[in-house]
Amino acid sequence: MRLFQSMAISASALTAERLRMDLIASNIANMNTTRTASGGPYRRKVAVFAEKLEQAMSRGRELTGSGVTVAKIVEDQSPPRLVYDPSHPDANQDGYVAMPNINVINEMVDLITATRAYEANVTVLNAGKTMALKALEIGR
Amino acid sequence: MTGVLFDKTLTVLEKALDAGSLRQRVIAHNIANINTPGFKRSFVTFESQLKEALSNARDGEVTMLKGDPRHITGKTGLEQLEPRVVRDRTSSLRADGNNVDVDLEMTYLAMNTIKYNAVIQQLNDRLAKLRYVINEGRR
Repeated sequence: MRLFQSMAISASALTAERLRMDLIASNIANMNTTRTASGGPYRRKVAVFAEKLEQAMSRGRELTGSGVTVAKIVEDQSPPRLVYDPSHPDANQDGYVAMPNINVINEMVDLITATRAYEANVTVLNAGKTMALKALEIGR
Repeated sequence: MTGVLFDKTLTVLEKALDAGSLRQRVIAHNIANINTPGFKRSFVTFESQLKEALSNARDGEVTMLKGDPRHITGKTGLEQLEPRVVRDRTSSLRADGNNVDVDLEMTYLAMNTIKYNAVIQQLNDRLAKLRYVINEGRR
């Protein structure tokens, strides 16, 4: 039923935006992490969104939109910040510590964008739900 | 089919309901992809096709019977009326190439919901009239 498909599309967007918020939370939590399992400082994680397209069953070749998906989670490859602090246990021989390349302002803007997108998709979900409930009233 | 039970109006209302739910789905897809880089929004055309089909029906065009839906027809009749999804490839000012405008999409969503509710109300009115007639004027 097409209205359930519409709600599934909104649900995919809610999942994707929530994943983005989780990554932002992880980035901010690890702002000062200099040791990771792979060695070196923490690297900023970014989610890459992609449009989800599906084969429409009745129409054959045509692809219809069916929401959004997180294609992959990439690590930001920009170089880490070097901070001069010889007393730090992870300082290199010049006394510099490689700190994560995370800018709080960027993360906050991303967080606001993700929150607004989440709210917009909740509104769309409610509209679809209202329409489906109204359709149940035909002939009553 | 013609007659009091299945006339043109019910067909039009049914098609309008289909178009409304398709439009809701397309708007949901647009808003879901509001942060996807390079995404281009889609929209549904239905009202212009409906206008053309209604004016064809009024002019007394006979709807050609087709053996296969892919056969070419002269003009669109009411039975073949179908909403279409069109991809809007206009470029946008956003740096990531995404051309979804959240305010416009939310407005279209509200308009579509109201239209859908109006069509359902019309449908219920018609069915109530039919029921009244069937019950010979008794409730």
